[in-house]
Amino acid sequence: MNRWSYVLLRVLQVIPTFFVVMVLVFVIARLLPGDPLTAVLGERATEAMVVRAKHDLGLDKPIAVQFLIFLENFFRGNLGDSINLKIPVTRLILDRMPVTLFLTLYAAVLAALLAIPLAFVAALRKDTWADNLIRGVFQLGLSMPVFYIGLQLLTLLGARLRWFPVGGYGNNFGEHLYYLFLPALTLGFNLAAILMRNLRAAILEVLQAEYVDFARAKGLRPSLILGKHVLRNALISTVTLFGLNIGGLIGGAVITETVFAIPGVGRLMVDSIFGRDYPVIQGLTLTFALLVSLVFILTDILHAQLDPRLETA
Amino acid sequence: MGKLVRFGLVLLALVACFASAAPKRGGTMVYGRYADSLFLDPVLNDANVDIWILLNIYDTLLAPTPDGKSVKPNLATRYSLSRDGKTMTLVLRPGVKFSDGSPLTPQDVKFSLDRAKDPNNGAWNSLIASIDTVNVSGSNSIVLNLKYPDPSLPAALATFNTAILPQKQFMAMPGAKDEDKAKAFAEHPIGTGPFILKEWKKGSSMTLVRNPYYWGKDENGIQLPYLDELRFEIIPDDNTRILKLQSGELDGAEFIPLARVAELKANANLNMALFPSTEVDSVTMNNRPKLNDGTPNPLSNVLVRQALNYATDKEAIIKIVTFGLGKPSRSYMSSATPLFAAQNGYPYNLDKARQLLKQAGYDKGFDLSTMIVSGNADQTAIASALQQMWTPLGIKLRIDQFDSATNRSKYRANDFQMRLSKWTDDIADPSEITSYFAIYKNVESLHSGFQNTQLENLFDQSQRETAYVKRAVLYQQIQKIYWDQAPIIFLYEAPYPVALQKYVKGFIQIPLGNNIFVNTYLEK
Repeated sequence: MNRWSYVLLRVLQVIPTFFVVMVLVFVIARLLPGDPLTAVLGERATEAMVVRAKHDLGLDKPIAVQFLIFLENFFRGNLGDSINLKIPVTRLILDRMPVTLFLTLYAAVLAALLAIPLAFVAALRKDTWADNLIRGVFQLGLSMPVFYIGLQLLTLLGARLRWFPVGGYGNNFGEHLYYLFLPALTLGFNLAAILMRNLRAAILEVLQAEYVDFARAKGLRPSLILGKHVLRNALISTVTLFGLNIGGLIGGAVITETVFAIPGVGRLMVDSIFGRDYPVIQGLTLTFALLVSLVFILTDILHAQLDPRLETA
Repeated sequence: MGKLVRFGLVLLALVACFASAAPKRGGTMVYGRYADSLFLDPVLNDANVDIWILLNIYDTLLAPTPDGKSVKPNLATRYSLSRDGKTMTLVLRPGVKFSDGSPLTPQDVKFSLDRAKDPNNGAWNSLIASIDTVNVSGSNSIVLNLKYPDPSLPAALATFNTAILPQKQFMAMPGAKDEDKAKAFAEHPIGTGPFILKEWKKGSSMTLVRNPYYWGKDENGIQLPYLDELRFEIIPDDNTRILKLQSGELDGAEFIPLARVAELKANANLNMALFPSTEVDSVTMNNRPKLNDGTPNPLSNVLVRQALNYATDKEAIIKIVTFGLGKPSRSYMSSATPLFAAQNGYPYNLDKARQLLKQAGYDKGFDLSTMIVSGNADQTAIASALQQMWTPLGIKLRIDQFDSATNRSKYRANDFQMRLSKWTDDIADPSEITSYFAIYKNVESLHSGFQNTQLENLFDQSQRETAYVKRAVLYQQIQKIYWDQAPIIFLYEAPYPVALQKYVKGFIQIPLGNNIFVNTYLEK
């Protein structure tokens, strides 16, 4: 199988997954007790108002009929209007998704920048004080909940020292980098810890491999050995782990966005679930599914790039 | 010479005093809100996040006074009632313009009131159900013909849902139905209020700027509002909202958790304000003989309900939940509601509770359950306190946690035994809270199933009684009956906690909850 048909196959595999997600989220949202109207109309609405509003929104139709309408609209590129916010879901997602994507990517980059060099230091200085310190700090980070790290960073670096703004998003690329530094660090820290531990173990394993001994015996420069032979091979499992955890980052974004007052989709998701805002829940879940699938495909491609045996398998 | 110099100095000092006392015009105020608005339409909105800021954009004919107990002139400079109380004439303020520069006309008022009273429109039309027809009279008057005399009408004309919108601009919006037009209009609302919506990033921030056409002036004749710009930032997390205030990124923040009020009071840069509110917190009891699943319900017995009121240590709950900032309820309505009449009774008394339970045949106690909203710290604290307080009576209280949508749908289906409730008035009149708490036909008395013929008759009378004193007497009787029948457990009233930087002046949140920024200025 050549590289392109491999990619095509992976893309095609996404379609059924996507459809299953679509059906599941549609049904599950409606199985939750309560409905958008009890949430949105508040406690003072009379029964007649609820009935009328349900009819206006088509929520009194059988669920299968509702699904067909949803499907029809979906293929026209229309995800419906938010019941609570009264604006099109596509507009909401387009407004907010870039924020969350920025935050997630930023977090992923920070995590990689932290994890890769430190993993090398820890592995090459195994069992020294440096290794213990690095592992200790990350262990501490792993055992603290995301919102707690976030609040501590905010209190210390934001409110006390005033190095960073307390929450918000900023208005241009430079400001985004500045405003989102603490949230991205918060969000990326757990991932960095996981990556660091994995990469350190992988480097230690690769360092034992015969081809590394061989490279050393050939008299190659240590930097070349580390960069070309050790890192590339040690990264294989770490890349997979990285890809798998990016899905988790989007989950973590929900909490981080709330703590740091960032107007991304994470917070929108929470609000829409509590408000039973079906069209928004559906639209967001589908977008998340699409994004996670995309990351998995990219991971597979990168994985294949690093380990050519996979393509022919 | 010396005298002249001294006189000059005194004069200078006086001038300096006045200069610093006069409100400063200009500047941007950044205010942290716990949640964003949803729908800025006066008639079709459903939530406090809209209601509490609508009146910065739109004006009503009359306006609530700062104490929330009466009304003052607004878009109407005066109103008069006919002798039979069935016709109200309002004279419009001359020269008022909408924020797009177009003049306010009586036709706009007729359009807005007709829209607000349409029974097919929104949740609030019942507040002006007494209006039969709205007629334009001459070039600057409006005549309301009423189906019956309505003592709450002036208050209703000061309530957000009767705000005045420009007819032409509204009708020019796309869409066939009123709701579609309202959706489009609310994206860029046009009103006669002090501010104009400039930008709204839903869920993130909302920017209002000064309406240059605003009619209001302060006592020195200076054009209101003072602020150039008012920006709301949406920060749902309480800690972050407070941190942003402490770091100076916000000029004010609403909904400070009561647990942190003392700490912020001690901060020299902040003014920790506790505005009197109409908030009442209570436990709604299901008064029906049987619960939805068919089990017999001891709470249908008035003696049991009274016993629980005696067995509830309100002072302790006030300490635990409001950190001493609340005060015990003395009626179902708050003491800030007009015609509130303080009731006596239900001091914490376990012996009395025991005696009443014995009389009711429950001296061995019974099982009870209450719903709370999961993750709600206040409700958890109240329910756990009740659980402990009632254990000596043999009452086992089970606490069921549901998320708010589930909680509400169970409430709506009468599927609960007890439930925690928080209420604030929307109108400066006791009729709204009474019709929800005590009158069966609206929402089955907060879905408690409570129904009392004598109370309902008195309420019907009070709804047509325009003589203030007579109406007050009727409300005394209504509150006494409700108190004795105890369909709820009366807990406490709590203030609105708002923290402002010391340099923020002239901001108020009135007891109805409305945030009033028209007189706000920054002294820095």
